[in-house]
Amino acid sequence: MTRHQTPVIRVDGVSRWFGSVVAVSDVTFEIRPGITGLLGPNGAGKTTLLRMMTGLAAVSHGTVTVFGEPARDNPPLYRRIGVMSEHETVYGFMRGREFVRMMGRLRGVADLDAAVDKAIGLVDLADAQHRPMGTYSRGMRQRMRLAATLVHDPEILILDEPLNGADPRQRVHFQRLLRQLAEEGRTIVLSSHILEEVEQVADTVLLIINGKLAASGGFRAIRAALNERPYHVRVICDEPRRLAAAVVTLGSVDAVNVDPDGAIVVLSRNVRDLQIELPRLAQAASISLRRVEPLDDSLESVFGYLVER
Amino acid sequence: MGSVYLLTLRQLFGRWRLVIMTVLAAMPVLVAALTLRSTSAPTVREFEAIVFSGMLAGSIAPLVVLAIATAAFANEIEDKTLANLTLSPIARWRIVVPKLLAAITIAGPFMAVSALVTSHLAFLGDVRATVAVTVSILVGVALYSSAFVWLGLVTTQAIGFGLLYIVLWEGFFSGFVSGVRMLSIRHYAIAWMHGLDQRRFAAGEHLSLGAVIVTSTIVFGGFLLLAIRRLRRMDVP
Repeated sequence: MTRHQTPVIRVDGVSRWFGSVVAVSDVTFEIRPGITGLLGPNGAGKTTLLRMMTGLAAVSHGTVTVFGEPARDNPPLYRRIGVMSEHETVYGFMRGREFVRMMGRLRGVADLDAAVDKAIGLVDLADAQHRPMGTYSRGMRQRMRLAATLVHDPEILILDEPLNGADPRQRVHFQRLLRQLAEEGRTIVLSSHILEEVEQVADTVLLIINGKLAASGGFRAIRAALNERPYHVRVICDEPRRLAAAVVTLGSVDAVNVDPDGAIVVLSRNVRDLQIELPRLAQAASISLRRVEPLDDSLESVFGYLVER
Repeated sequence: MGSVYLLTLRQLFGRWRLVIMTVLAAMPVLVAALTLRSTSAPTVREFEAIVFSGMLAGSIAPLVVLAIATAAFANEIEDKTLANLTLSPIARWRIVVPKLLAAITIAGPFMAVSALVTSHLAFLGDVRATVAVTVSILVGVALYSSAFVWLGLVTTQAIGFGLLYIVLWEGFFSGFVSGVRMLSIRHYAIAWMHGLDQRRFAAGEHLSLGAVIVTSTIVFGGFLLLAIRRLRRMDVP
């Protein structure tokens, strides 16, 4: 429990500019064990931020510390960190196992063969480990790169767009693997512009927009913080027109539309009240509700809303 | 260090590089074979100025090394794989030194064979002169390698700047401005040649062997330190 309360990575007032372009502006946050999703559109500054967190890039202002030590110009720290960058280039002439083995040796892994076997097993690529990486599909290259990132059993994993090129089965496998690694006490930072990826695995979300931290916390907490924004709720019932006429009178409802397919889309600023009032109303009017679902209760809608702000 | 060294060797053994190096390394041998057969064969001094200083030390060695040494880092910066090495818990010198050694390992034998065969033809098997030429060219390869490895870390236009350096500094200014010779790798190589075989090569406006050993060490070590410093401070893509 104590470990979960101790920040592993601290980013304090960090800015980075390239000439007159500000890539990251005065960002402050802490990352604790578990899975943290770094979310933002392309060009938001996620990669620059990750590069500063891993020491690959210098900060223009502020400090980044990992385990209380400076992240920059501190090679011994990489014994405890595994980083998978967004760049997918591999040594095409090298066999997958050779690559993972080389990375293990560079990171000072003691029982190298066992560590390589374990890492390749984790990404489920044992069958392809003796093939040159130049012959791999994009998804396989990503998985072998992940194996190389895991080979020294790091306490922190920093993964920049790790699911690029992965097929749905690989995504599921990857998400399961991330959860397993997080349950073992690791700190995982996962960057993505694909909201679904982050939403499905992250305990905490950091939303980066235009180089600034737009929001942070649990996904639902972020959602709750945006409660001034109207929510869309889709309702399917046996008498949509009659229900629409009744629903519009509710205090929790701002607007109602009936879609051509017969579904009602309710716009509400107070979903909590709507959740209570809608079933009562339907019951009183003898209308049978078949389905009630939030249309925008996903990171994508939160993200879109924040970007539009 | 072994992993980085072997990785760099594999990266640098590109087919086109080997072809270019072979063609370039064969040129002085061809020139030596052709000119020494002609009726108006050059004197030792003429041969030294044109083939050893102008071609081997001043053009071919730096061109071969430029193609190899700049690629030691530049290719990895370009394809973004350098982070694989810099994200390892090893000191930066343990990345730079093996890469420099790999560049010398590849360029060195080509230039050594070229210098050895050329000088063997020119001096009709005189062992001491042949050794002096070969060692001086190898020293030149090491010095150029150190400079160009650093250049490959500093700019993405390393080949362009390297060519400018070879043509303007080593080729033009160092031939005409005497002070520039004190800062010319080509002239260090020639000074080594003179120092190792004073019998064959007449003394000229060159550094003494002692002085050139010191300056060569400073240049080699200086560029190596600059490269290590650069790798520590740069933003790795």
